[in-house]
Amino acid sequence: MPNCTLISNERMHGQYFRAVFDAPEIATDATPGQFVHIRIDNRLDQMLRRPFSIHNALDGKLTIVYKVVGKGTQTFSELPAGSVCDILGPCGKGFSAPAGDVIPVAVCGGYGAAATFMLTRQSKNGGVLLLGARNEKDILLTQEYARAGFQVKVATDDGSMGIKGRVTDLFPELLKEYQGKKLFFYGCGPHPMLMALAKLLREKSLDGELSVDHIMCCGVGACFGCVVKVNDHAHPGEWMYARSCADGPVFKLADIYTE
Amino acid sequence: MADLKVDFGKFQLKNPVMTASGTFGYGLEYSQFYDISKLGAIMVKGIRSVPSDGNPTPRVAEVTGGMLNAIGLQGPGVEKFLHDEHYLPGVKKTGATVIVNIWGKTAEEYAEVAARLEAEAKNDITALEINISCPNVKAGGAAFGTDPKLAEQVISAVRNATALPLITKLSPNVTSIAEFARIAEACGSDSVSLINTLSAMAIDIETRRTKLANRTGGLSGPAVKPVAIRMVNEVYKAVKIPIIGKGGICNGADAVEFMIAGATAVAVGTANFVDPYVPLQVIDFINDYCDRHGMKSVSELTGSLLN
Ligand SMILES: Cc1cc2nc3c(=O)[nH]c(=O)nc-3n(C[C@H](O)[C@H](O)[C@H](O)COP(=O)(O)OP(=O)(O)OC[C@H]3O[C@@H](n4cnc5c(N)ncnc54)[C@H](O)[C@@H]3O)c2cc1C
Ligand SMILES: Cc1cc2nc3c(=O)[nH]c(=O)nc-3n(C[C@H](O)[C@H](O)[C@H](O)COP(=O)(O)O)c2cc1C
Ligand code: FES
Repeated sequence: MPNCTLISNERMHGQYFRAVFDAPEIATDATPGQFVHIRIDNRLDQMLRRPFSIHNALDGKLTIVYKVVGKGTQTFSELPAGSVCDILGPCGKGFSAPAGDVIPVAVCGGYGAAATFMLTRQSKNGGVLLLGARNEKDILLTQEYARAGFQVKVATDDGSMGIKGRVTDLFPELLKEYQGKKLFFYGCGPHPMLMALAKLLREKSLDGELSVDHIMCCGVGACFGCVVKVNDHAHPGEWMYARSCADGPVFKLADIYTE
Repeated sequence: MADLKVDFGKFQLKNPVMTASGTFGYGLEYSQFYDISKLGAIMVKGIRSVPSDGNPTPRVAEVTGGMLNAIGLQGPGVEKFLHDEHYLPGVKKTGATVIVNIWGKTAEEYAEVAARLEAEAKNDITALEINISCPNVKAGGAAFGTDPKLAEQVISAVRNATALPLITKLSPNVTSIAEFARIAEACGSDSVSLINTLSAMAIDIETRRTKLANRTGGLSGPAVKPVAIRMVNEVYKAVKIPIIGKGGICNGADAVEFMIAGATAVAVGTANFVDPYVPLQVIDFINDYCDRHGMKSVSELTGSLLN
């Protein structure tokens, strides 16, 4: 469990920050969709670790892209370069690499776009990012994806960027453009978005993997604090709880339970 | 190098540092970090007769000095625990000393689980910890640990069902924890462990909803330690059977404090989530402490409070 030195920790825009750690042990093993569990501080009101997707892992460096939403992420954003954090990882099950001639389509909400970025390195056929958010302030990483060879399509609730609507509203255009191509979907975002995505993919007989975002505690499968409902294949139609940190955070579409 | 072995009468442990039930999974989750056979024992997550889903989510919330949980004893059930590689068979391969935490919805169920564990795995299990103190399940947990008659029924039923050493895990959510310790001793429990979590609640003021789906949960972590120390000392004065102290242990000094108050051994809980290596650090600290204070054996620490 390495102590990692923060190389840089800069505001991207608004409430979004990018942190880069010197973390050779973690960076070597990481696959897209896995996360790290960071002990940001040892303050008594923020003892527990916070989970963050591995945005990038290259040349011994670990990059996290995060949004300040509460006290832990606030403290994180105030850490100066040179700070040392205790980081567990890489944790959890990540996405499977795009196989053969499929075109990977990342479908993300907000900071969910951090989790799918490393797929751009694995894909031999380019890919697509569909990114949804409330408004343009919550749109991030589009240039990075574009530079990595992914086509980027954006939807915002208020229409301040891209089309006005939900990320799933980008599907008609996508499916028309990529007609006859083999697409495989990689979803990451808030729970309601993932549910809508799962339903849509099933409706259209498309396949993919979804990364869930649930409050965590231990991050290693020991506490059962982070469970999500997955299909209980032994009892069709019924659900069971799976640990999002150890059995996930990435689940196959077939496992995702939708009410 | 002090002698770290501790004696519970019916069983001995290589050192007094365990990991608390529910905070260390079934052991394998943490064997990726270090050799878990170095621990005095691991106390696995609660097991009952059948699999159980546990409570709805969110199940955990951070609070100052600790956390609330209302996991609701999710678990695989005794059958899978005994035979699936993720549980007992896998853990035993690491060489770890295993104490199994058990629960049920009736006294009969507790007894049934105990009997099965003994019948099928008595050589793999060092002791059973009877959980009569989970605040997060209605039947089975809190009810048995806060009603003297029910506590007596459960402990006696388990005692009659097995010859395995028994540890009764006491609830702090009572007026007199010493009374329950005496009941455990009288019913043939070989040890008591305390404390389980304190019944608690936290509210999100923006949404005006409780942070846990279960509304209430159990408070654990450093915030509870002074309460736990007081209770261990009270129980130490009330019974002769050895005590396993827990509640908020974050480092070696915390553990030594529990032993001075009367604990024969200790268990690390919530602190595992913060730093998986805490139990090993505690072992080293206790050893150094004994050397520094001229104690040849860690047992000299137990109940060494001077006033
Ligand atoms: C597998 C995984 C990967 C993640 N990756 C990223 C990432 O790449 N970038 C990023 O910015 N965030 C990510 N998150 C979310 C991040 O962990 C939370 O935003 C963070 O823990 C909040 O901490 P805080 O102390 O600032 O918030 P708190 O003060 O604890 O809470 C503030 C608010 O955030 C909510 N919250 C707390 N934890 C989570 C959570 N896990 N998910 C959603 N909401 C939460 C609380 O309910 C509350 O409403 C990820 C979460 C998971 C489970
Ligand atoms: C997430 C979590 C799950 C727990 N599950 C159990 C359990 O299954 N059985 C049990 O007897 N105690 C359980 N406990 C209680 C702990 O074993 C321990 O008694 C308590 O947390 C106090 O110790 P601590 O402050 O060091 O965590 C749980 C505690 C936590 C935090
Ligand atoms: S966070 Fe503890 S099991 Fe997932």
